[in-house]
Amino acid sequence: MKPGTTKRKWEAIACALAVCGSVPARAQTLPSEPIVFADGRVTFGGDVSASIGPDDTGFFNYTDYQHSALRLLRIDFTGSLKAGDHLAVLGEVRSENVGSPRPYALFLRIRPWTARQFDLQVGRVPPTFGAFARRTYAADNPLIGYPLAYQYLTSLRPDSLPGSADELLRMRGRGWLSSFSLANPTPDHGLPVASAFSWDTGVQMHVTSDFIEATASVTAGTISDPLVTDDNSGKQIAGRVAVRPIVGLILGASAARGPFLTETASQSAMGEGRNGDFTQTAWGGDLEYSRGYYLVRFETIVSDWTVPAVRAPLIDGPLRALATSVEGRYKIAPGLYAAARLDHLGFSEIVGTARRDTWDAPVTRLEIGGGYSIQRNLIFKVSYQHNTREGGRVRTLNLPAAQLVFWF
Amino acid sequence: METQRTQRGRRTQRSRLVRALFLCVASLVSFVSFEPLVSFFPPAGVLAAGGGTIRGRVELRRVAPPVERRPTVSELGAPAARDVSDRLRSVVYLESAPRGAFEQSRPGRAVLNQREERFVPHVLAITAGTIVDFPNSDRIYHNVFSLSKAARFDLGRYAAGHSESRRFDQPGIVRVFCDIHSHMNAFVLVFSHPFFAVTDDEGRYRIENVPAGTYSVIAWNEGVSSEPRPATISDGGAAELDFTLR
Repeated sequence: MKPGTTKRKWEAIACALAVCGSVPARAQTLPSEPIVFADGRVTFGGDVSASIGPDDTGFFNYTDYQHSALRLLRIDFTGSLKAGDHLAVLGEVRSENVGSPRPYALFLRIRPWTARQFDLQVGRVPPTFGAFARRTYAADNPLIGYPLAYQYLTSLRPDSLPGSADELLRMRGRGWLSSFSLANPTPDHGLPVASAFSWDTGVQMHVTSDFIEATASVTAGTISDPLVTDDNSGKQIAGRVAVRPIVGLILGASAARGPFLTETASQSAMGEGRNGDFTQTAWGGDLEYSRGYYLVRFETIVSDWTVPAVRAPLIDGPLRALATSVEGRYKIAPGLYAAARLDHLGFSEIVGTARRDTWDAPVTRLEIGGGYSIQRNLIFKVSYQHNTREGGRVRTLNLPAAQLVFWF
Repeated sequence: METQRTQRGRRTQRSRLVRALFLCVASLVSFVSFEPLVSFFPPAGVLAAGGGTIRGRVELRRVAPPVERRPTVSELGAPAARDVSDRLRSVVYLESAPRGAFEQSRPGRAVLNQREERFVPHVLAITAGTIVDFPNSDRIYHNVFSLSKAARFDLGRYAAGHSESRRFDQPGIVRVFCDIHSHMNAFVLVFSHPFFAVTDDEGRYRIENVPAGTYSVIAWNEGVSSEPRPATISDGGAAELDFTLR
């Protein structure tokens, strides 16, 4: 399906939302708070965001081959069912561009001791690594686009492998639809550094105090390719520590390591038993500081993917990506804010037959914008993106966008 | 004769202009103010004299549930339990201000605390001109903002031990929130007169020093208002008025 075929449908819904938003507060019929029933044991919340922008001909904002983050109708329903003080089931169902709803999260939260801030979560759990991926609601993102680390598709795939460095270099800047000769030859989208669009499955432990928060998990996929069912017979181990040295400041450090190639891809390149060698290893650092009317966030991720060296010219050493973003938000007036994000995604170099180059095309993005709260839970955002890429068919692209967010 | 006719014509024109202007202002006021709590004109039959008391009870058939946290699946910890006691408190007030009420009101200061991720009290009733302090008594950041038409403000994020203030000049209902914790909310009811009372946990209220006269009295709880009910107060006397809401 070509991108944008469901455009009319979601534009109509966006218009409907806009009309609902213009209804005075007194006549408001849409819920403004989470829906609670069964004596407080069941709570439902929702989040609808409709983004509209021009055609992203450079695929800078695509989250897979069909969905651009700037032309997206996202409908989220989250729910929690509390079964006493120790147990809760939490879930989130999400639909993008009026597609079939997909479970995004579904896990059991166990709190063994009510007096201690210690939780065990089992199922499709929240990301352990980094900071941005846990800001699931559209209102948590001051802009419309996503940080490159969590959205931009590199050419690397978990189910298909380049036979040589030349093959990988040919795919520079084509992550939305890359194809390689080994394993699955069908063109498909590549992997982001870390996915903000699906969650991993496994077990997670979380302990917190006023000063420090620590999380560790064992999951089926990796940060770039979260999975429901394991396709690589290996587990990812991830951890994050965040400290709050002063009120308003959060400093976080994360690490994750796990096999990222599917068993089929690994076997087709190297034969049996080598799957565990081809891993994604990532380190991350993040900072958030807020005070008064401003909020500043910084996040950096270094990711190394180890891929098989099959044919000459060999892919020598791990493929590294370094993503860095700085984001700021300032409240100008009640309900009105301005925001900006500067993002860069760089890649390590490899040596091909004819040239030495980065294995994917580095991307830089500057996004500026702002938001206005029509009412507390109805926000209108606008943004303007300037994207540049050192490779690929489209090298520079400016994209304006608008978004309406409603939540309860 | 001619001069008199011209003068009368001018007077008629002027009075028409004044009436039109008044209508414009009145419609503007009713448009701008969000659910104004009191009318600006004294009711018929009001006598400005010594005070009486209006007392009674507000019965809630159903207590409004507290606002739960959004079920944020990405939150790593389990949320704490919520306290519901504040939802029992209602506000009873005179719909129309007695003559002279505006001169009588002496706005002062009030406190709306932020404690354990709640605004305390959940309902605050004040007279116009009152300065409300919003101290942060938690160990985490809080923010206080409102997008209500009667008061649109944002006090920014501030840490424990700090306090920000805001003066409420326009009568109306002001919903107050924290932009960090979406379950935190409170009501500030701003009156242009001092004839109102917040009930206790059992719904009892007492409005004192009400000048003798006949008034319309309204009870309010969590955004739900009763129909106005008449109450006649004599000098030094008391009127009993009970309400049932929801």
